[in-house]
Order: sequence, then C-alpha cells, then structure tokens
Amino acid sequence: MRKIGFFGLLSALLLTLTTSCTSSESKISELTIYSGRTEEYIAPYFAIWQRESGIKLNIRYGDSAELAAQILEEGKNSPADLFISQDAGSLGAVAEQGLLTPLPKDVAEGVPAKYIQGNREWVGLTARVRVFAYAPDRVKVLPTSFTDLSKPIYKDQVAIAPTNASFQAFLTAVISNKGLPFAEDWLRKVKANGVKIYPKNSAIVEAIDKGEVSIGLVNHYYVWEVAEALGRPINVKNGYFKANDLGNLINVSGVGILASSDKKAKAEDFINFLTSERIQSRFVSDIHEYSLLENIPIPEDLPPLSDLGAPNIDLEVLKNTKKTQDLLIKVGLL
Amino acid sequence: MQLTKIPSTTGSLNSSISRGNTYRAIVLTLVFVVITLTLIPIFYLFMRAFQKPISEIGALLFRPKTLEVVLTTSLLVVAVVALTALVGILIATGLHFVKLPFRSTFLILLVIPLAIPSYVFTYTWIALLPSFTGFLAAVFILFLTTLPYVILASLAGLRRVDGSQIEVARSFGFNNAQIFFKVVLPQIRGHISGGVLLVGLYTMSDFGAVSLLNVDTLTVTIQNMYRASYDRNAAAVISLLLVFLSALFVITDERFKSKNLLNKTTKTTGTKLYTISSKPYQITLISVFVVNTLVAVAVPVYVLLTRFINNPVAIDWRSIATASISTVVVAFFGAVIALVLSIPIGVLLSEKPTRYSRFTNRVILIGHALPGVVVGLALVSFGSKLGFIYQTTFLLAFAYALLFLAKSVASMSGSLAKVPEGAKEVAATLGMNKWAVLKNVVTPIAAPGIALGTTLVFLTAMKELPATLMLRPTGFETLATQIWSSAAISRFNEAAPYALVLLIIAAVPTFILSRPDRVDKALTTQEVRG
Repeated sequence: MRKIGFFGLLSALLLTLTTSCTSSESKISELTIYSGRTEEYIAPYFAIWQRESGIKLNIRYGDSAELAAQILEEGKNSPADLFISQDAGSLGAVAEQGLLTPLPKDVAEGVPAKYIQGNREWVGLTARVRVFAYAPDRVKVLPTSFTDLSKPIYKDQVAIAPTNASFQAFLTAVISNKGLPFAEDWLRKVKANGVKIYPKNSAIVEAIDKGEVSIGLVNHYYVWEVAEALGRPINVKNGYFKANDLGNLINVSGVGILASSDKKAKAEDFINFLTSERIQSRFVSDIHEYSLLENIPIPEDLPPLSDLGAPNIDLEVLKNTKKTQDLLIKVGLL
Repeated sequence: MQLTKIPSTTGSLNSSISRGNTYRAIVLTLVFVVITLTLIPIFYLFMRAFQKPISEIGALLFRPKTLEVVLTTSLLVVAVVALTALVGILIATGLHFVKLPFRSTFLILLVIPLAIPSYVFTYTWIALLPSFTGFLAAVFILFLTTLPYVILASLAGLRRVDGSQIEVARSFGFNNAQIFFKVVLPQIRGHISGGVLLVGLYTMSDFGAVSLLNVDTLTVTIQNMYRASYDRNAAAVISLLLVFLSALFVITDERFKSKNLLNKTTKTTGTKLYTISSKPYQITLISVFVVNTLVAVAVPVYVLLTRFINNPVAIDWRSIATASISTVVVAFFGAVIALVLSIPIGVLLSEKPTRYSRFTNRVILIGHALPGVVVGLALVSFGSKLGFIYQTTFLLAFAYALLFLAKSVASMSGSLAKVPEGAKEVAATLGMNKWAVLKNVVTPIAAPGIALGTTLVFLTAMKELPATLMLRPTGFETLATQIWSSAAISRFNEAAPYALVLLIIAAVPTFILSRPDRVDKALTTQEVRG
C-alpha cells in the first residue's frame, strides 16, 4: 500500500512537472522551432538570438521530411511556431495543406523574390548546390552528366540517399524537366548498375572516404562538414557536372511560420534575424553555404552560383515531391 | 473461473455469486480498456492504410521490393531465432548442469548485453571493423543482443526440470546427450518458446542495427517511407504487413509450445545442480563464455572507452546529467504505467484459459512486434488532437508502456499463476472477499516476479529510440536521442560518453535480472504464456 502511495505521488509530481513545462502560455517568452537543419550547424545562431532577444527557443531537431510528416500529422494542433527545412519540398508539402501563414512584406526584405514562395508562405535561408562527391584517386573519368552514373565504368561505385530531401528535390527537378518515364528509366538503370543506398549525405561522404564507394550525389557542404567532424582531411572532393545539367541543381533551405502559431510577430522577428546580413555572412563563413542576399560574398573555395550553369530553381516545381516519392517507392528505392 | 464454487461461510450463496460476478465484470471491463489502448496503433494503421485506394495498396504489397523485404525479414528472424535458440539452450544447460568456477560472474557477463542498445552495439562494431555491414552482420548483432532472453528463459525452465526423471533415465544407461534430448529438452520447451518469442518479435521490430548495417527489413522500409514521404499511408500498409507477419510468428510459436504442456504442474524434485564435472565440458563452456564476453561485452566497452578518451570535443557533463535523469525518469514512469496496465490482463491470463484470454494474449504479443516508429506516429496523431498531453513526458512514458506491455504482462500472469489456488480458496473460506484475497494472499506471493518484469520494461524503455524521437517534449533529450543525434560514424566520439553512461545505468537493472538467486523469479519475466 505504501508503494502505491509512493507511485501515485510520483506520477502526480511528474504530471504537474510536465504540464508546467509544456503548456506554459507565458507571454511570448519562448518560440518553438522544428528544425530540419542539424543541431551542430545551426544551434550557435539560435544561441545568439536567445541571448539578444531574451526569448527562449524550444528546438526540436530532426530530418526535414520527418518533421514535415510530423507537422502534417499534428495539423492545426502543432505546437510549432516555425519550421526550418533543408529543402523546398518539405516546406512545400506543409504549405500545400494550408499549415503555413503568408509572411508580411517587411519580413526577409533582403531576400530576392525568386527565393520566396509565391504566396510568401516561406522564404529561403541559404542556397546549396547538388554536386557529386568523389575520391580523386579512384575516379579516373569524371561524369559530365548525372545520366553518366548508369554507365558500366561506375558499376557498384555510386552512392545515393533516396530518403534525403535534397536528393528528392533533384529527382523532382528531373521529373519536371525530362518527364516521369525518363526519371524512372534512369533510376532503374542506376539501380541495375549496383547503386549503394545510404541514409544521408554525410554517410555517403564517409563511405567514399572509407573506400566503400567512389562517387556519390550530395550537397556541396558535406565535404567540409565530415572533415570537420572527423578532425582530419578526407579523401573526398566535390565535382560539378557540365553546365545546365540537372545534377547541378541549386536548392534552398528555408523557413516558414505555422498558421496555428499565436506568436507570429516574434516569429517574424526571428526570420528577420536569420536573413540579416550579419547572420547570413556567418552561414557562409561557418558552414560553407551560399547566402541568398546579393551583397554577401560567396563561400571560400567555391565557384559563384552563376558559374555553375545550374538549372534555375523554381520553388513551385520543387514542392511536387509526391510524384517523386511515389516513383522511388515504385522502383523500390524506398 | 470457479468463483461461483467458492463456498461462503458468512453470506448466502446468492450474494457470493453476485460478488463474484461484479469482480469478473470489473476485470473484464478493465481488460477491455487496456486492449483498446493497445489497439490504438493498429487502429491508426488501418485508418491510414485505407486512405489509399485498394488498387494502390495491392500494387504496393506486390511490388518486387516488398516481397524482397518480407523475405529478408523472415530470413533474419529465422536465422536469429535458430542461432539464439541453439546457443542459448546449450549455454543455459551448461550453466545448470556443469560444475563451473565463477558461475555467477559468467551469468552476469552473459546477460549484461541486455544493457546495450542494438544501435550502440552496431556502432562499436562498425568503429572497429569499417567494412562490417550486411545481412550476416545483422544476424551477428541481433544474435548477441537477444541471446540473454533465451539464456534466462531456458535457465528458468531448467530450474523446474523433474530431477527424478533424470535419475531414472541414467539408471537405464542413457548418456548425457540422450538425457538432454529425451528428458530435459521436452520439459523446458515451454520456457524456450517464451524466450524465442521475445527474440523473434524483437528482431522484427529492431530498427537501429539493421538500418546501420544497410539491411532492408520491414521496419527499415516503414521508417524510410515515413521519413521520406509526407503521405504516411504507404508506411501504414507496410506496417500492417509487419503486424500480419508477427501474428504468424506468434501463432507458430504457440503451436510449438502447445505440443508439450504435460509437465505444467508436475513440479516435483528439482535437479541437483552441478551434476557434471567433466573437464571437456567445462573447458568448452568456459571458452564459449569467454568468446561471448569478448564479442558482446569487451568490444563495445573497449570501443566506447577509447572513443571517450580520444574525444576531441569537450564533454558537456551538464547535458549528460540532464539526459541521464530524463532517461531514468521517463523509463521508470513507463514501467509503472505498463505495470498498472498489465494487472487486469495478468489476472485474466493467470486463470483458466478461455477463448477471450487467448485472444487477449495474442493481441498483446502481436503489439510487441510493432516498431517504435508506428507506435510513435499513432500517438502523434491521437496525442496532438488531445493537445494537453501531447509532447509531454507522460505521453512518451505511455508509449513505452504500450511498446513493452507484453513483457510486463508475461511476468504479471506468470507470477499470478504461481499463487496456489488452495491458498486463495482457504482465504475465501475465511471470509475474505476477492479484493482482500488479492491484497493479502496474491500480492505478497506474486510481487517479486512482477517487480522483475517491471524492471525488464524499465531496462528496455531506457534504450528505446524511434518513439522517443517522435514523442519527447521539444528540447527534452534522453541518452538515446543524444547518441542518435551524433548518428554519423564520423561523430561517434561525441556519442561515446552518452553511450557509456547509458550502459552503466542500464547495467543496474540488468544486474538485478541476472542475480543468480533471482533467476528463478526472473524466469516468470521471460515466460510469455501462450
């Protein structure tokens, strides 16, 4: 009996503890963010904001697509105020269900219009380029187009991450430019060519460094991220396909405010903070991403975006991830 | 139920019947409530899956990839079950019959891998052998992770083996092998099948090891579909396939077990322990123990320690302390909820089996194979509609309770069944009502076994990852989520301190479970009744 009393007491205690933690409607002293950007690379800027604004940030880290699925599942009951995503697709999926709110004109003023979604439901934060990462000593003939990856010389040497949002964005671009049959054919050929599947970009870069594979489709900044994490130089370089190849797609990370948020004004301030010149230049120097603001220099050791001959990104196109995912399921890559 | 047969010395027969009926009605109502709660994830899956047109469901189920994945999963389960059963039974039999030095130390070393989550196990092996990947690697890791279940369950069975039969067999000139196959094995079958059931269901639901080793099982596919596609319907269809497969496994296991239930009640003289002291047996066993300790304990601990020492990043002790407290509190809370939920089920199952109780037991067992991601998503869907409990530690603890209810139910029903009917009847004749009997007679006898079952839920909950990621309060980190956030091998150094702390904390309940004097009680923990 005494035990039951103890358990009861404990449960009651825990309940009050948890409810007091989560349901505190205390007048805008905190914002809740679902962040698809990895903690290590974005937490420092969150810390700056907390220090300067005095507003606490509750941050839920996860995969962009995973968090998008969670927001879709939560619907109007989502506790999140902001959603930061690694790609346009996840934001598009959430926006399509009417779960993001249009941003006023004075939010993210410096960001060029082409990086803002049509209804202003989300804005771009940084740009990243799709590249092929490769081991320079093992890849003698560099591919000039993503379609080369189904060639016999790359048999069993290519890595992709089909669950990764950036890979899906690239595939979405392929589908919209070349048609669904072309994309399906390419995927099947690549699969037949012994493509290796990894859960994410960083795992691909690690696998190249370890010698498991020689070449992989990733975002440009992972070569730095993995080297920094390992604390040593790695045997992996970035390569670019020929001009205008879809393999050089430029994608954006972005942020939107949830329609269900009751702290929209503060959330807008936060977006202005992230798109300010000060923070944008930090993104460039610290994590090697391209800023969307026009007057901020490009990352060191990287070509200007305009030199990549990258196909123009159209945010409206990249949001059509449903077809992409159905295709990946159909060919058995998901 | 023989409630109506209970003679009442004080009240009339009528009032006794009505009292018995009230008791039964309350038990059945509570069972209904618990079953409903357990079915939340499966209900969610049906709801989601059938938002897809039937033709698409068919296409999804019959695409080559799905068949491939079902095959991989089945092969993995068969391989892991066969290996753990073979090795586990041999080790347990050796421990039981062969005179060995340091017996209790070996037992602890054999059971301690229970404290290591499968993803940590896998990380450490990959860190050691970078080319460690693929199906065989997954069999190896899952074998090491689940072996303790079979060892504990078999040991429990061996404790109850009828010693007089062994003596008789020996006097007829049977050799050791013949005695083992003809006398011992048939008697411990029920226990083995209980252990094997846990191994199989765990293998089906594991995500950490298989995903790191690039093996596409159903759980990995479900997780990938969910992670990568915003429409959760495809993932739900595949989840239902997993539910179906686990139902198949549960029923097969029941068949295996029910072939031999003869000695259920024939507990007579136990065997004398340590009856064999031949050198070849001792040397073989000790080498097996040493090898197991090397690959299942020494390797993970060595890798974690070296990573911990070589970690270039400053260790954030505060974050480790917070994560430790969070882990322990939520897991404990989850174990308590599982305990409470398993009471009515355990009461029902400890009585004479009926159609209802068999159905109830199957539902609980099948639920045990649901991967964390499914339970997590179902509770995100329902929880977010309830608002106030969403993303609270309560909902997370509740998820643990649902995920590991089978473990708690098994120990509950096993322990309750150990209470002799006679004792209950005597108490009833003395005028105690059902509740008083429960409190004064049943609880004291059953409590130790139940406590160990709860310990097992606590231990498993501490290691849980996918549901934790989805349901934890925002900003709330457990040791498991911290380890996972440094998921890439390149950052494994940073995960090492968290993994070490988790190992140390989880070793405490594991130690309790493997204490030799407790093994006899822990057995009921492992015995999943059919």
